[in-house]
Amino acid sequence: MGILKVDRLAVLLASAALATAPLLFDNTYAIGVLTVALCFGMWSASWDFMSGLTGRENFGHSLFIGAGAYTAGFLNVQFGLSPWWSLAAAPVCAVLFSLVIGIPTLRLKGPYFALAMLSGAAVMQNLTIIFSKYTGGQDGLNGLDPMLDSPLAYYYLVLIFLIVSTIILKVVANSTWGTILRAIRGDEASCQACGINVNFYKIASLMISAAFAGLGGALYAHYQLQVGPDLFAIVLSINIIIMVYVGGLGSIYGPVGGAILLNVLTESLRAFSEYRLWVYTLVLIFILFFMPQGLIAPLWRRIRSFVA
Amino acid sequence: MTTLLEVYGLNKRFGGLHAVRDVSFTLQTGSITGVLGPNGAGKTTMFNLLTGFIAFDTGTINFDGQPLVRLAPHRIVNRGLARTFQLARPFVGMSVLENVEVACLAPRVRAEGKAASRAQALLDQVGLGEKSHQLVDVLSYGDLRRLEIARALATHPKLLLLDEPFAGLGAAEIQPLADLIRALHRSEGTTILIIEHKLSELMQLVQGVIAMDFGEIVAIGSPPEIVRNPRVVEAYIGKEDFDAPGLAIRGDGVGAT
Amino acid sequence: MVQILVYGAVISAIYAMLAVGFTLIFGVARILNLAHGSFYALGAYGVYTFTAVAHLPLWLASVLAVLFVAVFGMAMERVLVRPLRRSMLAVLLITLAVALMVEQVLLLVFGSEARNVPSMVNATYHFAGVDISAQRLLALLGGILILTGLWLFMQRTRLGSAILAISQDAEAAQYMGIPSDRIYSIVMGLSAGIAAAAGVLVAPFQTVIPGMGLLPLVKAFAIVVVGGLGSIPGSIVGALLLGYTETIIAFKISIEWSQIVSVAAVLITLILRPAGFFGKRAAF
Repeated sequence: MGILKVDRLAVLLASAALATAPLLFDNTYAIGVLTVALCFGMWSASWDFMSGLTGRENFGHSLFIGAGAYTAGFLNVQFGLSPWWSLAAAPVCAVLFSLVIGIPTLRLKGPYFALAMLSGAAVMQNLTIIFSKYTGGQDGLNGLDPMLDSPLAYYYLVLIFLIVSTIILKVVANSTWGTILRAIRGDEASCQACGINVNFYKIASLMISAAFAGLGGALYAHYQLQVGPDLFAIVLSINIIIMVYVGGLGSIYGPVGGAILLNVLTESLRAFSEYRLWVYTLVLIFILFFMPQGLIAPLWRRIRSFVA
Repeated sequence: MTTLLEVYGLNKRFGGLHAVRDVSFTLQTGSITGVLGPNGAGKTTMFNLLTGFIAFDTGTINFDGQPLVRLAPHRIVNRGLARTFQLARPFVGMSVLENVEVACLAPRVRAEGKAASRAQALLDQVGLGEKSHQLVDVLSYGDLRRLEIARALATHPKLLLLDEPFAGLGAAEIQPLADLIRALHRSEGTTILIIEHKLSELMQLVQGVIAMDFGEIVAIGSPPEIVRNPRVVEAYIGKEDFDAPGLAIRGDGVGAT
Repeated sequence: MVQILVYGAVISAIYAMLAVGFTLIFGVARILNLAHGSFYALGAYGVYTFTAVAHLPLWLASVLAVLFVAVFGMAMERVLVRPLRRSMLAVLLITLAVALMVEQVLLLVFGSEARNVPSMVNATYHFAGVDISAQRLLALLGGILILTGLWLFMQRTRLGSAILAISQDAEAAQYMGIPSDRIYSIVMGLSAGIAAAAGVLVAPFQTVIPGMGLLPLVKAFAIVVVGGLGSIPGSIVGALLLGYTETIIAFKISIEWSQIVSVAAVLITLILRPAGFFGKRAAF
């Protein structure tokens, strides 16, 4: 299952579409919405890499997002470092968090792993509020510096990160790594019997997932120019899962599409902001019952089989 | 003749149940041996202890000159001890080829070449070559057994443990599978240990038999000896798997170790 | 000191009601119901609606609220959960979706301001230098009565003992020849009803807002994980532990620290002893 020519073409087209999108709207607000959508794209793709492939659904992905975002906040606001340092430090911090929570939870099965991760994020959210002296509590940290002066330029920066991240994750998912991760989903004991060090792959894939999520968190922080405990919230983790389901579990690119689609969709309902959550939950119910394979990845596969 | 596996005084308790009781035996390199016993005799538990899926309480296991102590299952596989499972557990949602590829990615054999081509060769060897691109979900029981064997062989084991390879198979599927196992033993020289409680199938294949009951070994010997052993007979009285002692035992594949 | 004792007891009783319902439906049907907090919230809003809008007497409003929520729970199980039972993760997501929807509906209909529910009893008792509202004591008493009633139901009736047996050993259900689907509905109704009753009892002194079900869900979940999924005694012990730990910490240290106890307890239990400290089902 390599990367065919048609896939390469699709990547180019999608990238081109995303590159021209902000130019169509040409107002700062719309560019902001799209930038946020791209961040969700990174979070969704990174979630899919671990959970979509291994089947171990992580209900606490926001832990890594918050870790990355607060790293950016600390370095920039408390220590006065240039925002570019966040890009290196945030993934490292997120990976450390993934080790702390990932190693003890290695042996937990499906729903228990999901809920342990969820608890981890909730604990972190509570700690952030409790130690308000350092973290700014409910108000969080404000006054982060933007990385670039122009919102449009920053959009393109985030876009580049998103495209490169997605490609990296997809290439790894298509490699022998991906085969092993999917085998872990199939049956862990058989995997052991094949001589594969299952724990290593579980932890490594969580670390990779965390790194990209943390990176997305830092990019988001330097867009919002503030970070708060809401970044650790359960609702954020769940929204990402919904985006992945819409995109198609395990496809990596599907979740990116799902993220962008849902963000744009709820934005167009902006006037009815109370309905935002309705959209997400109705979509989730619909997908679970009628399209568990998702929307975007199956659609692409069908297009692909016509073209290729 | 070298000794490949030495087991001394292996014990395992689950709460009040003494599942494996002071089990000791040796296996010579290149031999093919059967483990016989009624349900609940501790055969699969013993396999689980040898392969690291369950930790043993006391005892020693020496494999290929090295002790096996509290090793994770995957490390034991990478030492050259592979197993199949009684209930086939394939990687669902993946193709037959990918199922074997995973085993080809084990550190022990990873460098031997492209996983996909090695996997195809193994599937050819067990007779599943043409089905390699099918999803594993559609395979028949007999084919799943062959797949298990292909996966186990992929790691180039010195010792192969087969857990009830004939269970659940119809008469038509048993003979070809037995032939396959015999052929593999001859061509690869792999030492094989088979659990089976279908007596007639087992006796055709093996050179020696370890008979177990209630977690203990009650007898070790060649098939004709085992079949006449009073303790073995006693363990099987009333159990439907036991065939009459007058059963003809095939000449090939049988002999003293 | 007396304050801690009494407040702790009230909180524990409420937690116990929530936890027992949560663990029952898990034990019987392997459903981790993230909408459990919604039952609690709907109970409170139910009694509010029936009194403030329909002007029914308080006792009637309470009963109706509980019944309504029980039926709602059964409908949810039948329509949304049962088709997805093959996957525990799908059940988690769908019950979560229901929880989010309920919160949204409540927000739409009632707005975000806290609603006032009249107390059933208006007295305040003075005891050992501390004021304790009679409503809180009523909540404690109500909790004890309901749980005792449940215990009697499980010990004395055929249906009850069947449910108890199934919750401890699902395979036993097969041999008892009881149609499991019917049992799931009944248990879900019970679970929802008890949670709603808790909501009704606390409505007069707790903030009645659309999001009121989230924290109780977290607490119930924490208790059940620590006590052991499917274990009723475990839930009760766990409820007492959590209720008192939170109350003591809230009084002695701070409210914020008391809130972390539940989530930390879940995390630690899942890591150290996934089966819970009294339960039999392992998480791996």
